[in-house]
Amino acid sequence: MKYIAEVDGLEFPVEILDEHHARFGEEILEVDLAAVSGQPLYSMIVNGESFEGYVYPDEGSWQVLLLGCSYSVNIEDEREKRLRSSESGLIRADLEFTLKAPMPGLAIDVQVNEGQQVKKGQTLIILESMKMQNDLRAPIAGSIVRLRIKVGESVQQKQILLCIVPNSSGDTQI
Amino acid sequence: MFKKILIANRGEIAVRILRACRELGIKTIAIYSEADRQALHVRFADEAYLIGPSPARESYLRGDRIIDIARKSGADAIHPGYGFLAERADFASGCVDAGLVFIGPKASSIAAMGDKAIARTTVAKAGVTIVPGTEGEGPLRDDELLAIAPIIGFPLLIKATSGGGGKGMRDVHNIQEMPELLLSARREAESSFGDGNVYLEKLVEGAHHIEFQIMADQFGNVIHLGERECSIQRRHQKLIEESPSPFLADDEPLRQRMGAVAVQAALAVDYANAGTIEFLVDKERNFYFLEMNTRLQVEHPVTETVTGMDIVTEQIRVAFGLPLSRKQESIRCRGAAIECRINAEDPYNNFLPSTGRITLTQPPTGPGVRIDTGIYAGFEISPYYDPLITKMIVWGETRLQAIVRMRRALEEYKIVGIRTNIPFHQTMMDTYPFITGKYDTRFVEEQFSMIDAAENRELYLDIAALMATMVAYGQMEHRAQVYGQPGNRSNWKWANRPEKLIR
Repeated sequence: MKYIAEVDGLEFPVEILDEHHARFGEEILEVDLAAVSGQPLYSMIVNGESFEGYVYPDEGSWQVLLLGCSYSVNIEDEREKRLRSSESGLIRADLEFTLKAPMPGLAIDVQVNEGQQVKKGQTLIILESMKMQNDLRAPIAGSIVRLRIKVGESVQQKQILLCIVPNSSGDTQI
Repeated sequence: MFKKILIANRGEIAVRILRACRELGIKTIAIYSEADRQALHVRFADEAYLIGPSPARESYLRGDRIIDIARKSGADAIHPGYGFLAERADFASGCVDAGLVFIGPKASSIAAMGDKAIARTTVAKAGVTIVPGTEGEGPLRDDELLAIAPIIGFPLLIKATSGGGGKGMRDVHNIQEMPELLLSARREAESSFGDGNVYLEKLVEGAHHIEFQIMADQFGNVIHLGERECSIQRRHQKLIEESPSPFLADDEPLRQRMGAVAVQAALAVDYANAGTIEFLVDKERNFYFLEMNTRLQVEHPVTETVTGMDIVTEQIRVAFGLPLSRKQESIRCRGAAIECRINAEDPYNNFLPSTGRITLTQPPTGPGVRIDTGIYAGFEISPYYDPLITKMIVWGETRLQAIVRMRRALEEYKIVGIRTNIPFHQTMMDTYPFITGKYDTRFVEEQFSMIDAAENRELYLDIAALMATMVAYGQMEHRAQVYGQPGNRSNWKWANRPEKLIR
């Protein structure tokens, strides 16, 4: 299987030849990858050199934590490329903003109501997590729709809290 | 000696205190909230009692219930650890009223030092210099604070009167932003300490946060155990502490002067047990009293490591009524110690808290490494409590040896299931200002960024690319085996199910 791995704007062509061999650019490498205790922590031996890192899926790409640095790696094979190009036609230009919880926590204050007009930078919700209070603010001006959080409720990370529809203006660019 | 001690805390500090008790042959009682049934402190203790639901105010802050449990279970004493009830004078006096020894200072000392405004007046009277602010003026209303602010001058700090750990603290750069910051500081202080009072303090720029550990017995003997440099902070939360301070370095006269002032401040409130005097030291080496923490400090192991004194054991001994085991002359600091606070926070996602079940943990071992933690594989990190999950302390003959040892240990430490700030510490250990010891309290927020720092480090782009590709390939192969059979395959399922597999 042939892949293109992209990190920091650099592209690395990788071809997996079999479980223990990969063509990396021009070179054929002997590679042994083992998940430590079945976890997303991997030990990898490449031509005798030993590395250990975390590999996490991260919204379509991969985050690799290796020797105290984080790398964002995009990997594409031909099948994914095809899938992606067929999907892209479905994504519509969506102008509303969806506020998701940046962390799990407890809503200790909800300062807006459905339908309310908010200004850019206005505090919408105060979320408490691990004893710290965080103000979640409106990144755009508009009106609140689909408010899905009440004071005292716990939320999961990335849970949708509310949406803001920008005030419609005549010159909306689509 | 005491027969049985109740530990009114959780997490790593509860485990730390349990260890001291066990070494002294004292039975231990743990208390726990619903979220903490499986916590290490519960598993390690001789007895354990459920105290209430997960939120702290319904469990670890329920002083009445805790005292009740201590009495019913036959405890002689209560150790409060840090945070929660540790600096609540009413809790300390409640213990005494119930016939229990509170392992800490007298309620009156906590009250005097706990209300930061009173503390500042007290030490100012004893001749100790303090940072300009609204000290000793009692609780002020917002309009009063807004009127005083321009007199103190900007930038300044709003601080919670009963605060600590950066909670209820805000930097203010101008009068315009002040009303909103007052509101949020009060709100955070109210929810963290049950007290929304705040005061103002001049923000000393380019300052070092240096604190002295003191230890006092009930016979009026007070000694200090040297300093800890705590200037590596983010949002006023300490992240790295070390002793000796690279800023004081071999300025022994200054160290002795500050130590003497620390002892003097403790004497001013008739102090007993362990405590910490925090100072701000400016670029010109003027030092100002900041506050006194009337409790065991998170970073106490740094001092234990360089002095060899077991501070928790000493706390228990002096609370029992024994004199201090060491005299000032016999306190010698050897080598250098550094502590990294490992928090459940993602340094690549704006240090947001990370919660979840720990699936694997592999702590570093080997020479000169100490781990104080309450976590293990299978334990769930909940959003209810502090993000501090582990403290890693290393010792080296020299500061440089301690740094290289810390680097080695950080890379060895593997925690899976939640994100931690270990990469932050790894980056810091490679940062020039840290290595040379030339940093102040603003360093992390004003000059440090994970991204910029990464640019100066050796990168392994190719290895990262290969590793991710191998993992992606492995998962794709796995999916192909599960879903690869031809037949009634729904494209909807195909689109949805692999995402679930990844989790």
